[in-house]
Parts: sequence; structure tokens; C-alpha cells
Amino acid sequence: MKTIQMLFAAIIFFSLAGFTTVNAQMDGQKIMEAVYNNPSGDDVQGELKMILRNKQGDERVRQLKQFIKVDAQTEKKIMFFLSPADVKGTSFMSWSYVDGRDDDQWIYLPALKRTKRISSDSKADYFMGSDFTYDDLGDRHPSEDHHLLLREETVDKHACYVVESKPKEADYMYSKTITWVMKDNFLGLKRDFYDEKGNLLKTLTITKFEKINGFWTILETEMHNVQKSHTTKMIFSDVKINQGVPESKFTERSMTLGQ
Amino acid sequence: MTQKSMKNLAWVVIIAIMAVSIFFVFEMVKNASMETDLDEYMPKEHPAFVYSDQAEKWFNIKDGILIAIENVDGIYNQATLQKIKDITEGLQDMPEFEAADIVSLYTADNIIGNEEGLDVKSFYKNVPQTAEKLKELQLNVASNEMVQGRLVSDNNQVALVVAALNDSVFSMEFYDKILAFADSFNGPEEIYVAGVPIVEGTMAYLGPKDMKTMVPIVILVIVIILYAVLRSVRNTLATLFVVLFSTIWAFGLMSLTGIPIYAVTIMIPVMLIAIGVADGIHLYNHLDLFMQENEGVNKIEAIKDMLKNMWKPVVMTSVTTAVGFISLLTSEVLPIKYFGLFTAFGVMAAMVFSLVFIPAAIMVFGIKKKKIIHKDDNNHASFAYSFAEKTLKHKVLVISVTAVLIFVSIFGIGKVWINSSFLENFERNSDIVRTDAFVNKHFGGTSMINVILESENDGVMLQHDVQKMMVQMQTSVENVETVGSSFSIADYIKRMNKVMNADEEAFNVIPDENDLIAQYLLLYEMSGDPENLWKVIDYDYKKANITFQLKSDNSKELNKAIEAIEVFRKPFEEKGISINYAGSGYKALVFTGLILTGQIKSLILSIIIIILLLSLMFKKLSIGLIGSIPVVLTAIISFGLMGLLNIPLSTTTALISSIAIGIGIDYAVHFIDRYRINALETGDKLATIRETMHHSGRAIAFNAVVVIVGFLVLLFSVFPPNRSLGALVSMNMFISFLATVTIMYLVLYKSNVFFNKKNKRTDI
Repeated sequence: MKTIQMLFAAIIFFSLAGFTTVNAQMDGQKIMEAVYNNPSGDDVQGELKMILRNKQGDERVRQLKQFIKVDAQTEKKIMFFLSPADVKGTSFMSWSYVDGRDDDQWIYLPALKRTKRISSDSKADYFMGSDFTYDDLGDRHPSEDHHLLLREETVDKHACYVVESKPKEADYMYSKTITWVMKDNFLGLKRDFYDEKGNLLKTLTITKFEKINGFWTILETEMHNVQKSHTTKMIFSDVKINQGVPESKFTERSMTLGQ
Repeated sequence: MTQKSMKNLAWVVIIAIMAVSIFFVFEMVKNASMETDLDEYMPKEHPAFVYSDQAEKWFNIKDGILIAIENVDGIYNQATLQKIKDITEGLQDMPEFEAADIVSLYTADNIIGNEEGLDVKSFYKNVPQTAEKLKELQLNVASNEMVQGRLVSDNNQVALVVAALNDSVFSMEFYDKILAFADSFNGPEEIYVAGVPIVEGTMAYLGPKDMKTMVPIVILVIVIILYAVLRSVRNTLATLFVVLFSTIWAFGLMSLTGIPIYAVTIMIPVMLIAIGVADGIHLYNHLDLFMQENEGVNKIEAIKDMLKNMWKPVVMTSVTTAVGFISLLTSEVLPIKYFGLFTAFGVMAAMVFSLVFIPAAIMVFGIKKKKIIHKDDNNHASFAYSFAEKTLKHKVLVISVTAVLIFVSIFGIGKVWINSSFLENFERNSDIVRTDAFVNKHFGGTSMINVILESENDGVMLQHDVQKMMVQMQTSVENVETVGSSFSIADYIKRMNKVMNADEEAFNVIPDENDLIAQYLLLYEMSGDPENLWKVIDYDYKKANITFQLKSDNSKELNKAIEAIEVFRKPFEEKGISINYAGSGYKALVFTGLILTGQIKSLILSIIIIILLLSLMFKKLSIGLIGSIPVVLTAIISFGLMGLLNIPLSTTTALISSIAIGIGIDYAVHFIDRYRINALETGDKLATIRETMHHSGRAIAFNAVVVIVGFLVLLFSVFPPNRSLGALVSMNMFISFLATVTIMYLVLYKSNVFFNKKNKRTDI
């Protein structure tokens, strides 16, 4: 009897100890850093299908070809519209800088045959009428928020950390976000965004991800704005990583070529 | 039955009626709810409303509360700009609003062009601190016609904050809250609050409030006149209680069945006061005459005689009146249906109380012993006699005057128009009218018509020829005097085209290429707030919403704008595009039209039914026709006068034609029935009309005086619609009265009914 009790006590002790060590190691800050540092390749290319759905259930589909190239200072991105037909050939390029300078953005309208710089006030603007802001699409540095590991739970058979992140700056567009991070690959599986008043604004879910060329890559994701009942689904296909996209792809001249 | 047991029975009747009334009062206190959402008044299934409701959802069309901030020294200073920001944010924080529905200089997107490209930014986030920055802001606004003249007045003295609101959110508390909120920003800037929700709210507030102060005065005046006529406190009180109980029962039943109180519901007591006193007056009139003619009879005999002689006309008048109101069930407007139904119920209740409560009251409280002043009564009688004789003598004059009146009125009826304007219900110098005029002076207009273009195919609204036609339509409709401005997808495209071409005015047009338009839109979506786009175009570019702002909500002006819009129906149809309308202004227009046609339908229907009923009651078609004379005359003359005096019909005044029926028929029935009785008794035409005039004519005159004077009190109301109500009810009563004792009496006299030997058996 005594041995069994001892054994139980030991098991409980060790398992508790084990958990505390894990928690000590993986606090919110560390988890989010691991997510941020998840290797993603130096360049990515592929097709993007954006499906926008409004309150009435009307849908709009846009297909784009996109190229991304990242180096230590800059993330360059160029997108070419494939459909709908009347905007085919329209291209959009953005350069964003690690040092916090404003993004540079250009648009080429084939009907106007001219490239124009566009500038937008803030990263809180929505990207192409979708439910993603520019900031949602980029990587926010973990040092900009306070992180707190709330709990661990299993979502859709994935063991996850649940981390709450509150911005350090005063008037950020979200009062907080809660992220479900998969334990095995440090990819975010789901994120809830809360508006300035503290109400749930949007939910982002990753519905498909794969390892491509050795990198964990998100292939399907959906952003649902619960306040506006508006949804954006992004489907990536034909994704190629580290195939060596040339620097010349990210020029105003390239924009006019249509792809 | 002994006198004692009869007295006990009378007590039981009185207490029972009282008890039920008290129960209804408690029901009213517990359940009564006021319906302030005007949408609830409209027939949901009517195609125009179905379409408009749909379109309102597609394009997020809502009525806006407009808060104008005036600084005579100009708005481009730190304090005023801060105020614009504070008001905007304050409204955004209110749970009744969606943040995106608040539009002001602070929230507006500034699409500007420069050498390099395009810039979409807000005009200011933090209030500019330096003179140069303030100047720059002013220049930015001045060069953007999507903002200058829309959110900032052209003289730069007034800024506007527009807060779009769901109708269903509106409540009296919210109305007070908004006004208090706006007021807290007053000084040194002037703050004005306008817009459709505010006008509707003020009306919903002022109408019943005014009625609350006026109705007791009306009742008081009616009590005084009743007393002067009946010359007995208990008779006056008993008659008053009949009216009061019938109103309480009608309202009690309404709250018991869970039907809310609508604006037209306040007409129910008005109708019941006007109609309910009649039975009492006629009953007591008969009783008085009986007591005078038979001195020393006991009250049981008097009551018996009163009921024997009077139950028929009381029942007949009540049934015909109730049927008149029941005919309102043909209306497409729900509150009017309820109004008809419950007024009819109230009329029947008043009938029962008259036949049960009044005898019971006489039984319990006795008959006042009047000093019988024979001289006085002889005066009455001789006046009645001579009136009857003189009318007969001057029949040619009476008939020709009537003919002229009919002729003139029919001419006037052609001019009758219905006004759906809410604003014109207010005094010219009232705050709300002045505020509205102020906003209209500086901006596009406080009233809106939304034109919805719709096509079968995706992308049609982006075609350049379609957009050019929109511009054409906007330009042409803006030429209508009261149309201040318009707004559509074409305005965005023009602005984009200009901005993308170095801000040159020559490019402030729709470009010739469809693809370019699509690409501009994409560009706007990428750089601006696409939410704004969905107010003018739909997701598939199949539908577009063109908003016209008007400086008046008068129906004539709305119709002028619609006329100018209709010119484009055909050209658009040729492109496979349909035109429809939406928005509260248009709905109000359709709604009032429905009320008018509904009123005319039910008016004709009820006249037919009344003719049939009277024919049936008196077993003679000619009586049916004769009895309808006062009703028809009252209706024709009152509509004719409104047309001639350019008084538009409104939702409440249109209902007054019901009162013409309800009361006109009462006078006729009482008069005809007394005439019939006298005819059978005397068999002498002259004696018959003399006695009828003395008996019924007197009661009808009493009745008319009581109600006319009572309702003339409403002329002192502060709320113009209540004033016209008072004037029209009084006028209708007077016409009905006069028509009954003159032209109808002449026709009755000439027709020889009840004197034909064959009709000796006419004893219904």
C-alpha cells in the first residue's frame, strides 16, 4: 500500500515539476518569439485566390499572382491581378521596412497605362477591401506587445498554447489579441482580435497548412469580421519557396508587364 | 318588479360597468406601449415598401441625425475642430450608433492627387496646432468637392456631423439624450440638431404631449356646454361617463390584446367624444320633453317611455356609425385598421352604456325637478316651428345654395393634395423648422430620395455609358429648385479620374473606358475605406444607389424631383436597367398616398353600406338615399374646402372624413326616425316637421353646439396638426347639422315617405 502511495506521490510530483519547467520555459513572450522566428524562406511565389463575402452572402472572387522577397531590411511584395477580367493586369507593389519607415506602395493601372504611388494613412487600413489590415498581413514584432500565456488547450486535435497579447502603444487598433499557437510547429492556428472598446472584432483561422520545401506554410486562411458579418478567405496555391525570385521582379517596370 | 329591486338592479349595473372600467384602466397602465417606429405603420407587404426595405439593407440607407456646428468666425480654428472631433467620437461611442455610420470632417477620407500619385488620408487626426497647418486643412477641404459643401459649408462657417441611425433604435429617451449631448457643446459655437429622426421624434413627442394638455380642456368645455344644454349636473356627468367609459373600454381592450398605441390612436378619444355625447343628449332631450308634457309621472314611467321611443334611433345610429368605422378595415395601413376597429368597438360600447348606464343613473339618482318655464319652452318650440316653416318657404334658396356649394366643392376636390411632410406640421418659427432651414441653407438638404438602379447582369454599373447617364440624371435633377445635391458611384469615379490626372478639372468626368472605371474602383478599395463604396454600389456592380438631397420634405417638391428622375426611366430601361425608389422620404410619400386612396375607398364603401343599412332599417331604399345626404354633403364640402383653401391632407386630417360619416349619419337617423314616429302619429305633414324640428332638431342642435365648441378649443393648441383637427371636426359637425335640418329635411318632406297609405304598416 505504502509503495503505491509513494509511487503516486512521485508521479504527481514529477509531472507537476515537469509542467512547471515547461511553463517556465515557454512563457507568453517566448512563444510569440518562436512564432515570429519560425523560418519562412527568403522568397515565396504562388497564386492567391481571395474570396470576399458580405452580410448578404454576395461573393466576390479575385485571383492574383504574388511574389514576396525578404531580406534583413526590407520585405518586398508584388501582386498581379489575374481576374476579374476588367482589372486583369493591374499590379500592386509594396516595400516595407524593418526600421519602421512608412511602407512604399505603388499601383499600376493598365487602362491608365501609368504607375502611381499610393500612400495610405495607417496600417489599420484594410487590404483591398478584405478583412485583413495591412498590419494583419505583416509580422508584428513580439516586442511591441505584452504577452501572457493564458492556458493550454487542444483545438481541432492540435495541442495549443493560448497567448494573450496586449499592445504597449496607447492607441493601437486592437485592445488585445488572443492567439492559439500549435505546440509542435509554432504556427498560429487561430487568433481573436478585440477592438478598442474590448469587443471581439475579428477571428482569424488557419484551415490548411503544409510543409513546403522544409518551411511550414499557411495555404488557407479565413478572416471573419464578426461585427460586420464580412468574411475574407485567402487560398494559396502553386506555392514555391526559395526558388530564387530575382530582385528585378520588384520594380515599377516589372509592374507594367502584367506578371 | 318593485321600484326598490329596480333601483338595486341599477346599482348593480353601475357598479359592474365601473368595475370593468377600473380593470381596463389597470390593463392600460400595465400594458400600454407607444409605437414610435414609423416603419411599423407601413404595410410591410406593399411592393414599394418591400423594395425600399430591401434596398435600405443593400446600401445601408438610414436616416441621419444632423448636428451642425456653426462658428461665424469660421470653423478652421483649434477649438471648433476639436469640437467636431469630440462630437464625432462622442456619437461613435454611443451604443445606438455603429461607429462607421458617423460621418464628419474628422472621419472623411481625403482622396488627393499629386505629381507622383494618389493619397488617401484623413483630413486630420489630431487638431492642427499651427496657422499653416490650419490653412492647409482648409485648402484640402476646399479642393475636395466630396467634402466641401457636404460636410463643411461653402462659407466655411458651418461643419456637419451626420449620424445615420436605425429607425428601430429610436426612442424618446434617446431623443432626449441626443439633444442633451448636442447642447453640451453649445457656445461659443452654435449647435443645431436636425434630420428626419429628430423631426419624427419631435412630432411623436409634441403631438401626444399637446393632446394631453388639450384633451382635459376640451372635456371641460364640453362639460360646461353640456351643462348649459342639459341644465342638470347629473345628466351632464352621466353623459360624460358614457364617453369616458367607452374610451377606457376601447383602450383597455387594445392593451389587453397587446396592440400598441399608434399616433392615429389618439384620434379614438377624439371620435368617441364627438360621437358618444350624442346618445346622451338625445336620450335626455326626449326625457325632458316627456317630463314637460306629462307633469307628475314617476321616473320609472319616464325611463320606460324614453327607452321605448329612443332605443331604435340610438341602436341605429350606433350601428351605422360603427359600420362606417369598420369600413376602415379595407385600409392597407395597419394602425388605421386598428383605429377603425377599436373606434367601432368604442361606439358600440357607448351605445350599450347609453341604453343601460343612463337609465340606471336616472333610476338611482333621480330626475332633476326642473322649473318648467313654459315661456322659455314655448320660445324653443316656436323657434323650431318657425325654422321648419321658413326653411320650407325658402326651399329654392336652400336648394340653390346647396347646389352652388356642391359645385364649388367638386371643383375644390380636384385640388386636394396630400402632404407627407413632417416638417410642415410645425410652426414656421419653431426651433425645429429654423434648424432645418439653417442646415438646408448651408448644405444639400435634410430630406432624401434614393434612386436604385438595378440590372440583371454583373458589372453593368461600371459601364461608362451607364455612369455617364447617372451624371446626366444627377445634373438634370439638381436643376429642380429644391434639390440641393446628389451623390452616386459616378462622383467617386469622377474624383478618382481627376486625381489620377494631376488634379486637372478637365478630367472631372467619367472616363470612356470600362476597364479604367473598374480599376479606379479597385484602387479606391485598396487605398480608401471600401465601406463607403457599398453605400453607392453593390458587390456585383449590378445595382447602384443615387442619393438626392432635398431642401424640403413637402410632397409636391418630392414629386417634382421624382418627375425629373422619371425622365430617365426610359433611357435606363433601354440599357436593361430598372429604376426604383427607396428611403424614408419616398416611403412617407407612398404611405400618405395609400392613406388617401384607402380613405376614399372606405368612404365610398361606408356610404354604400350606410345607404343599404338605412334602407333595411326603414325598409325603404329612398330613406337610405335621403339619410345619406348629410354624410355625402359633409364629405364633399369638407374635401372641397380643403382643396380650395390649399390645406393639404395629412395622415390625421384624412381620417376626419370618418367623423363626417359617423356624425352625419347620427343626425340623419335621429331626425328621420322622429319624423317617422310623428308622421305615423299625426298623419299631418306640417305638424310632423314642426314636432320633428322641435324634438330631434333641438337635440341635434345641442349635440352640434357641444361638439363644435369643444373642438374649437383645439384651435388654441400649439401643435398645428391638432389645430387643423379641431377646425375640421368643428366644420364637419356644422355642415352635417346644417345639412340635416335644411336640405335633408326638405327632401324628406318632398318625398312624402311615411305619408303614403301603403306605408302605414311601416312599423319597424
